[in-house]
Amino acid sequence: MLAGVLLLIFLPPLVAKDLCKDSQDGFKVRLSIKTGLGDDAYEWNESEMFLFRSTLAYAMRKHSNQDTYTIDNILVCNDTQRVSFVFVVTSTDDPDQLIPKEQVELAVRQNKHRINNAFLLSDMTLEFMGIPPTLSAPIIYDTEPWLIVFGVVIGAVAVGIVALLMSTVSKKRRAKEKAAGLSEEDEGIVKENGTALSSLGRKEGVYNQAFSNDDRFTKL
Amino acid sequence: MSKEARPSWDSPMQFVLACVSYAVGLGNVWRFPYLCQMHGGGGFLIPYLLMLFLEGIPLFCMELAIGQKMRLGSIGAWTAISPYLGGLGIASVVTSMYLCLYYNVINAWSFWYLFHSFQSVLPWAECPVNANRTGYLEECEVASPTQYFFYRETLNISSSIDENGGLHMGQALCLLLAWIIVYLFIVRGVKSTGMVVYFTATFPYVVLFIYLIRGVTLHGAWNGVKYMFTPKLEQLANPQTWINAATQIFFSLGLGFGSLIAFSSYNHHNNDFEKQAVVISLINSGTSVFASVVTFSIYGFKATFNYESCLERMRLLCLNAFDLSEESISAENVTAWISHLNITHPERFAAIASKIEHCSLEAELDTAVEGTGLAFIVYSEAIKNMPLSQLWSVLYFIMLLLLGMGSMLGNVTAIITPLADIKLLTRFLSSESINGLVCLLCLLLGFGFTSRSGSYWFTIFNEYAATLSLLFIVFIEVISVCYIYGLRRFERDIEDMLGHRPNWYWKVMWAVVSPLLLFSLFIFYIINYIQGGTPTYQAWDKDLVRSGSGAI
Repeated sequence: MLAGVLLLIFLPPLVAKDLCKDSQDGFKVRLSIKTGLGDDAYEWNESEMFLFRSTLAYAMRKHSNQDTYTIDNILVCNDTQRVSFVFVVTSTDDPDQLIPKEQVELAVRQNKHRINNAFLLSDMTLEFMGIPPTLSAPIIYDTEPWLIVFGVVIGAVAVGIVALLMSTVSKKRRAKEKAAGLSEEDEGIVKENGTALSSLGRKEGVYNQAFSNDDRFTKL
Repeated sequence: MSKEARPSWDSPMQFVLACVSYAVGLGNVWRFPYLCQMHGGGGFLIPYLLMLFLEGIPLFCMELAIGQKMRLGSIGAWTAISPYLGGLGIASVVTSMYLCLYYNVINAWSFWYLFHSFQSVLPWAECPVNANRTGYLEECEVASPTQYFFYRETLNISSSIDENGGLHMGQALCLLLAWIIVYLFIVRGVKSTGMVVYFTATFPYVVLFIYLIRGVTLHGAWNGVKYMFTPKLEQLANPQTWINAATQIFFSLGLGFGSLIAFSSYNHHNNDFEKQAVVISLINSGTSVFASVVTFSIYGFKATFNYESCLERMRLLCLNAFDLSEESISAENVTAWISHLNITHPERFAAIASKIEHCSLEAELDTAVEGTGLAFIVYSEAIKNMPLSQLWSVLYFIMLLLLGMGSMLGNVTAIITPLADIKLLTRFLSSESINGLVCLLCLLLGFGFTSRSGSYWFTIFNEYAATLSLLFIVFIEVISVCYIYGLRRFERDIEDMLGHRPNWYWKVMWAVVSPLLLFSLFIFYIINYIQGGTPTYQAWDKDLVRSGSGAI
């Protein structure tokens, strides 16, 4: 009688351990708390394990939309120093039946972000072996930022070129007008001494090649 | 009839800065540190400085003298020396043309990287995620994010030179921008160039100085600097060291392109080019050494970072395989633990044995890289690990741009100066139009380098377009000046310009030493070509996802 009662008391945990250890539906979890948090790392103890089991139960609840999952549905075994262990999820209707691997995987992937945050870890430091992480989606821009900078720079350069060319054109036009204007004035001026001294006002002197400094040709 | 006086620099300082801006280019940053590393660190300075005095300074001075005396671009100057030598000038112009075509593509790449630095996360810091968001793109995982960004996103490289692919629109836009900026700088000839060189010559030094301070304060930088400066004097016995020193000096000073002749043709007749030649050459070499200190501190940082990441990976591998507590293995005793675990648990160790890497700081430091690989991959990898990486990235690529633009100014001036001397052209077209047409032509031809196989074409041009021709051109130049024009006549011209004759150092170098050196370099290159067989190149194969070799 006593033996039977004792067996009844100790059977569920033993059975539970068997469910966890031998099952194909379990996942190995690995936490790298010291690597992830450095000096702010917390100790891994029973309370942290409790938190883990409750976050997993939360994930199962959200995934299956059933509010019946409790912490007792999450079984854990193979606890190591590394802080790694295996867990399985039992069904709410039948404690001996396990939720299939694919379901658990979906639940975890959906809520990985929340699970990570509960432990202040990331996809790198809280690993579920066999469940690939869901990386954040790449940001899609309406206009790529590099095009914006490119537009600014090429606009500024284009303005610079146009300004330079305009100033060249206007300088030439002014020179031409001055030349045209002066040639009209010339006819009115009385030429003194037979030399048109007024023509010297046109440019900064006339280049006299007799005094050229350019020895372009070799000396004889 | 009036003759427009030849435009000239506003001051001798502008001329010096223009030459510095031209000579100090990308080669100082990405070729010299590599040579230093390959040929015994600090010991390489011995052949380098020796070659500077034997061939660098004399040839530089000679080209300045020719330009200042003849006051014409390269074609006119050589035609004046002897009517049969006009072809030498044409050769210089054609070589400059080749250089202009492919060199501005580097500026396009720098622009691309610069514009992409304005993001919260640098695009080469992380791999892009794959289609179902479970991991990173395979091509990027096998290579590294920086390599992926350069080969796939910047170049969109095809797997061989035969596969053309289309144009990379982003690159084409950046090349267009690069040429528009070059046009803006040279549109008014020396008037506009003279203004610009104040900035392009000095700002790179500001950035290098900032990087020096940042570099030596990085974790692990000292490993790199120490590695570089420990001289391995046995390398001096290797003839390759001396050959590389000679060619580096030669190409770094930009001789033979006609740019120096063009620049000095705008000088005042009595400008003291002799002193300026010495100053500019020394500045150029000094910049090379300065830039290599910066580069080696960056190398040291990158090598230390990689080494420590390797140790961390091994540590995690051991922890995970043997389920040990996290505090048991630290970065320092990883190697001890690996051997211990191998002895105590050989079967379990065998399971992870294939993933064990041998982490070595020496091996990381030994990976010497040069060229675009150094500038765009190694440096950007180091930058992404620095705090405030966007700022450092922007600074660095602006520096690369200024160095590249400064050299482009010289090369484009080498083309437009002889064109401006041709009376037939200047009668029909204004100088602005001629300059615009040259830039437009180079832009259109340069689009070929922005295609998907463009990087391979770039490699061909970079290695073969200018190297042999320049050696030959400068060799003929120095022989012509000394023996055809006559050394005595040249001496008298210099006396006319400077007021004193060149002393024995110059005469010996011009008449004997430099021609001999150039001739032996030329012969060496020819022998190398003949012995080399079919030239090969490194290709990036997307399917194999690592660099393999292809034949041209």
